[in-house]
Amino acid sequence: MDIKNADLTSIFNIATTQNKYLNDLHFFTGAVCLVILFIVTGLLITIVAKFRTPESDDGSEPKQTSGNVRLEIIWTAIPLAIVIVLGVLTAIVMVVVNPAVGSKKPDLIVIGHQWWWEYQYPKYGVTTANEFCLPVDKNYLVEVLAADVNHSFWVPAFGQKMDAIPGHPNYLWLHPTKKGLFLGTCSEYCGAQHGLMRIMANVVSPQDFETWIEAQKSSAPPSDDPAAARGKVAFNSATCVQCHHVAADAEAKALIGPDLSHIAQRKTLGAGVLENNTENLTKWMQNPQQFKPGVYMPNMRLTDDQAHDIAVYLESLK
Amino acid sequence: MHNTAHASAPSQPKHPLDTNLKVDRNILGMALFIGSESVFFLLLILAYVNFHNQYGTGAMAAWHLDVVKTGIFSIALFASSGTLWLAERAHAKQSGMAFFWMIVTIGLGTTFIAGQGMEYAELIRENLTISRDMFGSTFFTLTGFHGFHVIVGLILLSIALWIMARGKKQHEITEVGLTCVSMYWHFVDVVWVAVFSVVYLWRFIK
Amino acid sequence: MTQGALEHSHKPVNWVAEVPEYKGILSWITSIDHKQLGLLYIMSAFGFLIVGALLGLTIRMQLMFPMAHVVNQGQYNQIFTMHGTTMVFFVGMPLLFGFAVYLTPLMIGARDMAFPRLNSFGYWVYIFGAIMLFFSFLAGGGPEAGWFAYPPLSEKGYLFNSGQNYWALSLFVTGLGSVATGINLIVTILTMRAPGMTLKRVPLFVWMILMDAFLVTFSLPALNAALVMILFDRILNTHFFDATVGGSPLLWQHFFWFFGHPEVYILILPGWGAVSEVIPVFSRKLLFGAGIMAASTVAITFLSFGVWVHHMFTTGLGTAPLYIFAVTSLLIAVPTGIKVWSWLATMWGGKLRFSVSMLHAMAFLIQFTIGGLSGVGFAVIPIDWQLTDSYFVVAHFHYVLVGGMLFSLISGVYYWYPKATGRMMSETLGLWQFWLFVIGFNGTFFVMHILGILGMPRRVWTYPVGMPGWAELNFFSSCCSIILVGSLLLFVYNLIWSFYHGKTAGPNPWNAWTLEWLADSPPIAENFERVPVVRSRRPLWDLEFGSGGDGDGEGQHA
Repeated sequence: MDIKNADLTSIFNIATTQNKYLNDLHFFTGAVCLVILFIVTGLLITIVAKFRTPESDDGSEPKQTSGNVRLEIIWTAIPLAIVIVLGVLTAIVMVVVNPAVGSKKPDLIVIGHQWWWEYQYPKYGVTTANEFCLPVDKNYLVEVLAADVNHSFWVPAFGQKMDAIPGHPNYLWLHPTKKGLFLGTCSEYCGAQHGLMRIMANVVSPQDFETWIEAQKSSAPPSDDPAAARGKVAFNSATCVQCHHVAADAEAKALIGPDLSHIAQRKTLGAGVLENNTENLTKWMQNPQQFKPGVYMPNMRLTDDQAHDIAVYLESLK
Repeated sequence: MHNTAHASAPSQPKHPLDTNLKVDRNILGMALFIGSESVFFLLLILAYVNFHNQYGTGAMAAWHLDVVKTGIFSIALFASSGTLWLAERAHAKQSGMAFFWMIVTIGLGTTFIAGQGMEYAELIRENLTISRDMFGSTFFTLTGFHGFHVIVGLILLSIALWIMARGKKQHEITEVGLTCVSMYWHFVDVVWVAVFSVVYLWRFIK
Repeated sequence: MTQGALEHSHKPVNWVAEVPEYKGILSWITSIDHKQLGLLYIMSAFGFLIVGALLGLTIRMQLMFPMAHVVNQGQYNQIFTMHGTTMVFFVGMPLLFGFAVYLTPLMIGARDMAFPRLNSFGYWVYIFGAIMLFFSFLAGGGPEAGWFAYPPLSEKGYLFNSGQNYWALSLFVTGLGSVATGINLIVTILTMRAPGMTLKRVPLFVWMILMDAFLVTFSLPALNAALVMILFDRILNTHFFDATVGGSPLLWQHFFWFFGHPEVYILILPGWGAVSEVIPVFSRKLLFGAGIMAASTVAITFLSFGVWVHHMFTTGLGTAPLYIFAVTSLLIAVPTGIKVWSWLATMWGGKLRFSVSMLHAMAFLIQFTIGGLSGVGFAVIPIDWQLTDSYFVVAHFHYVLVGGMLFSLISGVYYWYPKATGRMMSETLGLWQFWLFVIGFNGTFFVMHILGILGMPRRVWTYPVGMPGWAELNFFSSCCSIILVGSLLLFVYNLIWSFYHGKTAGPNPWNAWTLEWLADSPPIAENFERVPVVRSRRPLWDLEFGSGGDGDGEGQHA
């Protein structure tokens, strides 16, 4: 999987304006917590050093102090004050990072499936799967939906995660500030392959984004390779079209599995399981269960030639 | 000082410095149990209410219910609380009427259950089953668990009756024992007040 | 075996194996004696601890390397589900109930619990529920929707073998036993205390148990309501959680966590109680601020019913509703935090003795603070938005549950083992166990904070090659988990070894001050021949010194 070129996966990698605010909050809260931990640990060490019973102890009992009202008030009031400050900061950051959607229409719709991601751009009429693009420096409204069970959409460098819950559409704002490939994961246990339901977000310049959108909107040009032609025929007859949509193919209109119109552009197969090339695609088609056991794509019992031809066909769909 | 806190011993003379709660432990236990069951019923009621307003299945389906008929059977249940109270009073006076009022209570409770059963049969005949929609799911679960608790109450009342019937030579039912059973029965009644109001009467508010 | 008050033997017995009423396995199976039931609970809990720990070890072995195949994804998902379910319901709950039913009558000067037969019911129903759940593996497969089983995944349409049915049914059954025990404990504490023992004079452990029992009595029924609904969805085709027919997956989350949050307080309170007994005794000083300690626990008990949505901060419920729960979750940190200051202040100015029991309590202080602070972080909703459902939260809850609950209860085991068995535990074995436990536990779980920061989600059966830091940190964590499991095995070994070879303890080996130390070790069947009138929280201190059981009186306002 080509993640060597990916931007660092970390909540501290600030790739959106939202994550900038989150990071400020992380550092403040983290600092407060570290100070408290330091005090507790320091006190315990001091206590151990100062009050261990010496060998020469006479066995008498020490002074039996039952309490100290002033001290108890102080160590209640200070945490209360800290908690109030945190409460105020919480409110501010919540509202800044996740403002009300109002009647605004989403720019990107993310739909979680068992175990892949569908991405729709309603304003452009584009649908794709597993890898998507965002233009830098634009505040995108993302709608998060679920097709089957609960999922959760999370790219750590972008900031918060948002659950995908059937029957309960959710919203997320993403305003990317730097270009790059950002990795994420499904973050709500959704069954067998929850662990291999990866997210790949490409943040590109606005011009590159337009180019990408145009390419997604148009059908891929047919390939010269005769294997691709044979592959297309096999694709249509070996029931692939029962699940997969290909824009350039009039017979492939089903919306059950990932959209394959531009599969050749993707870096990986199976939402991050295999690197995308002809050889891997062939192997995947012949036995998806080998690479992602439990996935709903059945083994269609393709011959080696059929699988190779279909792979060539699909790899021509740029 | 000897402190025998024996569970089944009759109440010991209390030590002058005793600071315990001055309530019989069985009554306290039953009260806590009722509190616990209240939480259970609360959540079932909340589930019903949560789905009540759904288009097409919620309040609309409640129109299938026969408020008057169920209302009459509900009166039987409420009356049984009254007759149980009369039974307790008679028992405290060691009157033979206690026996009679207990039987009436059980009879009224059984009438209520019979009414529930008939209502269920009617609804299922009209294809309003537990699996049909959200109303079916929440209605049958909520009233079903209530009915189950009523049946348990009838069993408790019958056991109490049987102990009473065995007469003075055998174990007598103590006042505490009868109080505990009656607390449970009144609780089941109160739950029905809530359930009946929410399920059957709500549509008259809108 | 009858429990007649007239039957106890006057012959002094200083080993639990020689108590005449405990001879023969039938006496254990039919027992309604709180001490036997308490020991049964604790032994069963430690048995399941080993099972749960081995499940956890399997998880760590699978995650040791990226794209490993120690187990496949279906097996892994069942394993992590059973790991969580076992640890919460078949280890944590019975362990705390065992401590509670064993110690409460002894600490309040009673002969048994208010309802001894109900006590037995609670135990056997737990065993039945546990066996029923593990049986599911022989009946087509175990549950695999996680220990909180969110629908729609847990519905019949997505997980169609009967494992989920077994999960719901066995927890329902076990929950009935828990409520019974909760009620039993409340009635016992409120109606059976020794003369002079006002509620302000009960040991802190007993106060914690009282609060805990209220939590149990009023939160377990919420779980049972939710379980009824998922069972009906799966078996009777109702639609409580099926969004396609108008149901609501979110409703499950609300109902489950309305139980689930009080549940985690249920798990930690008894440990707080144990540590509140251990730290004073090994500091030779009474508990600092005992009144505030008790009052803050009341606050926590009430507040814990008002924070459940903090498990749902990423479900999109709306800014205002979510914020209310951020406020309550932040608030609950205050009464929790002041306990740590009280324990430290108890040690300050004392004469410390570092028994194995005390060492565990001290490790608890640091580890619980770490777990509590990461918890406060999660109350800050935007931080939760980043880090929930990642390995950061796995770190958080293991720090409070293992670093907090398990360390504190094991501290209690070392402390009360002599009372229950008449033998001291081996301090040598204990020291080895303690250090291995500290190293193994912290090594396994501390790095998970970092894994969460680096974006690793939880409940994943494997992870890709090449994610920065994931392989290295997982490898380290898995190596330490071997040490952790080893330390738990060593602990169980110590329990068994000390049973046969431990030194005779005597009634009060620690020179402690609460009523249970007046009884023999092990106690006679009726616990006490006579119980003194109680005039403070430390009756044995008063017996030794005449007065001063509640200290110098400074700061006494509760």
